[in-house]
Amino acid sequence: MAARGVLRCLSSNFLSVLPSIAPSVQHSPRLLTSISSFQRALATSSRLSAALKFTDKHEWIRVEESGVGTVGISNFAQEALGDVVYCGLPEVGAKLAQQDEFGALESVKAASELYSPLTGEVVEINTLLADKPGLVNKSCYTDGWLVKMSIDDPAELEALMDEKAYERYIRSIED
Amino acid sequence: MVLRSLCVLRAQAAASLSGLPAALLPGGSGLDLPGSGLVLRSLSTDVFQNLALEDWIHDNVDLQSRSILLLWRNSAAVVVGRHQNPWQECDLRLMRRSGVPVARRRSGGGTVFHDPGNLNLTFFSSRKNYDRARNLRVVTGALRALRPGIDVRATDRFDILLDGHYKISGTAAKLGRTAAYHHCTLLCSADRALLASLLRPTCPGIHSNATASLPAPVQNLMDHDPSLTPESIARQLAQQYLAEFGSGGLSVVPVQPSDQAFAGIDRAAAALRGWDWTHGRTPRFSVDAALELADGAAAATASVRLEVKAGRVEACRLAVAPEWLPGGPPARLAARLLGARFCPSEAAAVAEAFLRAEGGGATGGGATGARLRARLGDLCDKMVALM
Repeated sequence: MAARGVLRCLSSNFLSVLPSIAPSVQHSPRLLTSISSFQRALATSSRLSAALKFTDKHEWIRVEESGVGTVGISNFAQEALGDVVYCGLPEVGAKLAQQDEFGALESVKAASELYSPLTGEVVEINTLLADKPGLVNKSCYTDGWLVKMSIDDPAELEALMDEKAYERYIRSIED
Repeated sequence: MVLRSLCVLRAQAAASLSGLPAALLPGGSGLDLPGSGLVLRSLSTDVFQNLALEDWIHDNVDLQSRSILLLWRNSAAVVVGRHQNPWQECDLRLMRRSGVPVARRRSGGGTVFHDPGNLNLTFFSSRKNYDRARNLRVVTGALRALRPGIDVRATDRFDILLDGHYKISGTAAKLGRTAAYHHCTLLCSADRALLASLLRPTCPGIHSNATASLPAPVQNLMDHDPSLTPESIARQLAQQYLAEFGSGGLSVVPVQPSDQAFAGIDRAAAALRGWDWTHGRTPRFSVDAALELADGAAAATASVRLEVKAGRVEACRLAVAPEWLPGGPPARLAARLLGARFCPSEAAAVAEAFLRAEGGGATGGGATGARLRARLGDLCDKMVALM
C-alpha cells in the first residue's frame, strides 16, 4: 500500500517538473524510468520502481514491491564524503528506530555516521561493499545500496522528503 | 612572547564544573561565555573516559555557533580506528603482559600509540565549519611560535611531518548529525621503544578488508628541542586556537569527565572499554597460520585456518599429519572452538575442556596414550598462543 501511494506521488512530481511529457505518462508509470533528468534517482530494473524518499541526513529509502525498504546515500552525500574506503554496516536482524545510528562510511575525509530513515529491522546488507566500497560513490542509487530493512510504520515515510523537496533542500544548504 | 591577559574571574566561574556543561548545552543559561572558541583540558588520563568525553561533547554541546578544542593525554594505550583490526594493528599478547589496553575510536583512520608524552587535540565544530587544514594550521602555528624556524608541515593526508620526514601527528575525524570532530595526536615525549614494540601484528597470516594503518617513521618534538614539552605546547596551542577561533579571553578550562554533570559518561566509557566494542567490532577476517608442534626431538607442523566474525570464531579448520595425531581429536578441537571469542583466555578454557574430554578413553593407555595426550596438549597450547 505504501508503494502505490509513493508511485502516485512520483507521477505527479514528474508532471509538474517536466510539462513537455505526453499526458499518457500518468497512466504508464513504467515510462517514467527512462526520463533522463531523474535517471540517476531511479532503479534501472525492469520491474516497477518506487520513488525515493530522502532524509535531511542525505540517506534515501526506496520501498520495493515486497514492502522492504532499500537504503542508501544520495549523490550529494557521496560527493561530499569523497572516496569511500570502508562501509561499516549493521548485522542482519539489527532493529533500528528512526534516526538511530546504524553504521558509518569511512572515507579519506572522516568516518561519517549513517542514520536510519525509518523504524524497522535490517533484512539484508550489501555484501558487495566489503570488497568494493567505491560502489557507494560510483552507483549510490543502485549497486551502491547499503542495507534493506523491513518497515514497521509506513506512516514514517510521510515525514521524509520526496525528490523535489530534497533537491530544494540541497540548494538551500549549499548557499 | 606576550601572554594574553586572562580573565581569571570568568575562568574560575567556568571551572565550576557543574556549571560548565549546562552553559554549553543548547539553550544553556547561567554562564555567558564570550567569543566562539573555547579550550578545555581533560583531567583524566583514562583513554576510555576521554573518548567518552569526546562523544559527550559531540552529542550534547551546541556546536553550531561555537568551536571547542579539547586537550587530553592518556596513560599508555593503543588506539585503533573505527574499522580496524586490533589483531593486525598491534601485539595484543605483549600489550596484555605490559598492561597496555587497546581502545577503538569512533573516528576513522589508523592506529596510534598514546602515553603521557603524547598530546591529543580534538577540534569540535559544526559540520559546516569542519576544516582540518585550518585546525592543523593552529598546530603548526603554535609550534613555530615556540620554536621559530622549525620545519613542520601538514601533508595532504593531514599528517604533520617534522623536517619533511618524521611523522609527529596523525589525524582522524568523525562526522555526525550536525557536528563534527577532528582529532590528532602530537608526539612530544612518547616512549618510542614501547610504541615500536606494540605496533606490530599479534599473529601472522591475517587476511582482512579492515582499514589498514600506514606505518611511518616517527620522532618526538622534545628530541628536536627539549623546550617542546607537552605542557609548553599545550599552553601555546590554547593561545593559538583562541586567536584563530576567537575568544573573549577565557583561559583553558579544566574538565573532569567523572563529574556527574557529564551525565552518562561512565556508562559510555564502560561500553568503550568492553570487549564487544574493542575486539567484537572488528570486520570479519581470516587467519592462515602454521603451528610448529614438538615432542622431544620430533617435530611437525599443523596448518590452521580460522574465520573470525565479530571477534568470534565462525569457522576453524585444523590439519595435522595423521602420523603425528589421528584426525579425530584435531577436528573435535576445531569444532569446540566455534563460537568462542578469538582470545587466549577463552581459547584456553575451551582447550582445557577439550583435553579433559579427550583424556583417557579416546587416546588410550600406556606410553602411546601418554604421548598422544602430550601432543594434543602441545597443539592446544600453540592454538592459544596464536591468539
